[in-house]
Amino acid sequence: MKPMCRILARIVSVWLLASSLINSGYAQSLPQVHLDADGLAPRPIERLTGQTITRHYALAWQEMGQALSANLSNGLGDEFTGLAKERLTKRISEQVAAGIHVRIIDHGHTVKALFYSTDGTAMQLVDLVQLEIQILSGDQLLSTDTSAHRYMVLMTPGADRWYVRDLEEVPAEKP
Amino acid sequence: MAKAAPRFTPGFRSRWTFAVLLCSAYALGVTNDLHTPARVEAGEAFSIPPEGSGQATFYLIGPDHVVKRTVELNSPIQVHAADVEAAGSYTAMLCRTECSVSRFDVRASHPALLSFFLHPSRVPVSTPGSIDATAFVFDRYWNLVAEPSAVDFRITPANGAEATKQLVSHNGIAWMRMDSGAHEGPVRVTATLGGAEEPRVIQQVAAEACGLRIKALPKGNSVTLESDPVKDCSGNPLPDGTIVSFTKFDAGGKSTVDVPIKKGIARTELSLKGPARISVACGVVLGNELAVNGRL
Repeated sequence: MKPMCRILARIVSVWLLASSLINSGYAQSLPQVHLDADGLAPRPIERLTGQTITRHYALAWQEMGQALSANLSNGLGDEFTGLAKERLTKRISEQVAAGIHVRIIDHGHTVKALFYSTDGTAMQLVDLVQLEIQILSGDQLLSTDTSAHRYMVLMTPGADRWYVRDLEEVPAEKP
Repeated sequence: MAKAAPRFTPGFRSRWTFAVLLCSAYALGVTNDLHTPARVEAGEAFSIPPEGSGQATFYLIGPDHVVKRTVELNSPIQVHAADVEAAGSYTAMLCRTECSVSRFDVRASHPALLSFFLHPSRVPVSTPGSIDATAFVFDRYWNLVAEPSAVDFRITPANGAEATKQLVSHNGIAWMRMDSGAHEGPVRVTATLGGAEEPRVIQQVAAEACGLRIKALPKGNSVTLESDPVKDCSGNPLPDGTIVSFTKFDAGGKSTVDVPIKKGIARTELSLKGPARISVACGVVLGNELAVNGRL
């Protein structure tokens, strides 16, 4: 009987450890991004560029989720630039002033590439994503919403990565 | 007689689900009786009708802006133009012991600003599809305007007639590809949208050399080589500094000298070991071949 209890205790402790990890930082793991670039115009996408964009777009959402949850904007420059970075930075400073923070539970992105400039300096994407957005004041949950969201995204290349330059939510029924 | 066990039919389950959701919402203190417009234009002030009396905390959370203020419930809640400048999804909340929540969209306002890219900065003359012009259409708050907008591209060469092309933006982007002109010099391309104008200048330069020819002036054991004025097929002189390569084959083997064009002409002097063949090239273009000292 005792070995059975020990095994059971180990299973329970492993499960508790795993769930605590998930609830702490690992919930902000890299979200899934599926990029569809079929028929992209006026320039087709190179395989490596597609992989880089997919990775950095996922990293951008991870970074945004962490920044909005922790109300820290100092890491946003890794994946955001220009207007997108300015807007997020402003929002986070105002979240701090209002005493709220936002938790995003990301259920994955279906991204369609719409435009890739011939000189390779800009790519426009439309992203359909299922998000659970929780607004909290301290530990108190003020609002929660689970729904589909649609974003128009503009990404531009930097020295070693693609940055999110513009991220605008648009009504789901029309891009 | 045994009693029938209760059955969880689909309807029974859905009623339970609904009840659980309702209880959850109640437990969170969330209701949905805050009345905001479903859709607002960026920078458009509006008010939320009063409900009840006393005070409450009003929150407005948007893409780049968060508002928190205490409001009186017996008067409309004013949402100022500056509160809704960024397009996107907004959440409005009114919290007393519980929170009323409403979500609404802010859409981009009228097209007012352009972001314009012209590529490349230098382009060879008479090259099909070599110039790309891309314009992004924004409203006055720099929200991308997804609705179709007419963008005019005005092309003004240094020499020649001005041309205009109108395009309709798609998802906020209007782009075109065009051929470079036949003459070198600056070309101004201006994207216009209503009152907004964004000019860019591109430099058209001579294309590859055309009809490249050299002549040789032998002098003792050396030869002076000189090109005719180096021009492209449209007659534009290649810029000074463009490299012309002279290659010599003689008894000493093969040697190549790279010479920059000066005042439109490439000139150099080579020493010879017996009869020689001399050829010339500029970029990917080969010129004539000469035989010096009577041997080809």
